[in-house]
Amino acid sequence: MKFVPERLEVAAGDRITWTNRDIVPHTVTAQPAGVESGELAQGRSWTYIARKKGEIDYLCRLHPVMRGTLVVK
Amino acid sequence: MNCKHLFAIALVAPALALAQGKPGDPQIAHIVVTANQIDIDAGKLAKSHTKNKEVQAFARQMITDHGAVNKQAGALAKKLGVKPEDNDTSKALKKGASENMANLKKLKDGAFDKAYIDHEVTYHQQVLDAIDKVLVPSAQNAELKGLIEKVRPAFQAHLDHAKHVQADLGKKK
Repeated sequence: MKFVPERLEVAAGDRITWTNRDIVPHTVTAQPAGVESGELAQGRSWTYIARKKGEIDYLCRLHPVMRGTLVVK
Repeated sequence: MNCKHLFAIALVAPALALAQGKPGDPQIAHIVVTANQIDIDAGKLAKSHTKNKEVQAFARQMITDHGAVNKQAGALAKKLGVKPEDNDTSKALKKGASENMANLKKLKDGAFDKAYIDHEVTYHQQVLDAIDKVLVPSAQNAELKGLIEKVRPAFQAHLDHAKHVQADLGKKK
């Protein structure tokens, strides 16, 4: 029930893929940054291309206790 | 009689505490499916009854998550050739659930929200205790045990979420 790793540093232009290894569905959501994976069922993946430098704090919309940070350098 | 099991049954129905020994995998599979279905049903009732957005979101999460777990549990039981078998713990869970549903149906608005969330807090605590004290220690098949261990963090998150909503409902008084 958490993002692993919770903090990830990437370079601008990198492709980042989240895969749901849990049984229940999750999302990758950061509303101000316009990041929204939609609901990912078990085993589903979603890829985001980080173009803008900065920090993106995201969460799972369904389980807001799950939080992560993407640092785009 | 397994003392650990006796304790967990005592949580859901003291009267049935002497009724059963250590559950086998078919019984465990039935308990898992029953426990999930109960919370899906309560969630559906809450979704249609509540006017509170936080309670609504919690109920939706219960329907989604417990539905996902049951889909997985059903698929695993089929794969392993385990036929879920009704048992006294499942019966006690169902009895408790029908009493809870009957009580909730009599309530409205704030009283409904409070009763639903209070019960969800207690219920998830009971299910977590049952997972730790009975289901995981008793499960023989490694995949069945693994599934139960894998859903535990979600149930813990539900308990934390329910407690958070409970605290927020308390502030509104």
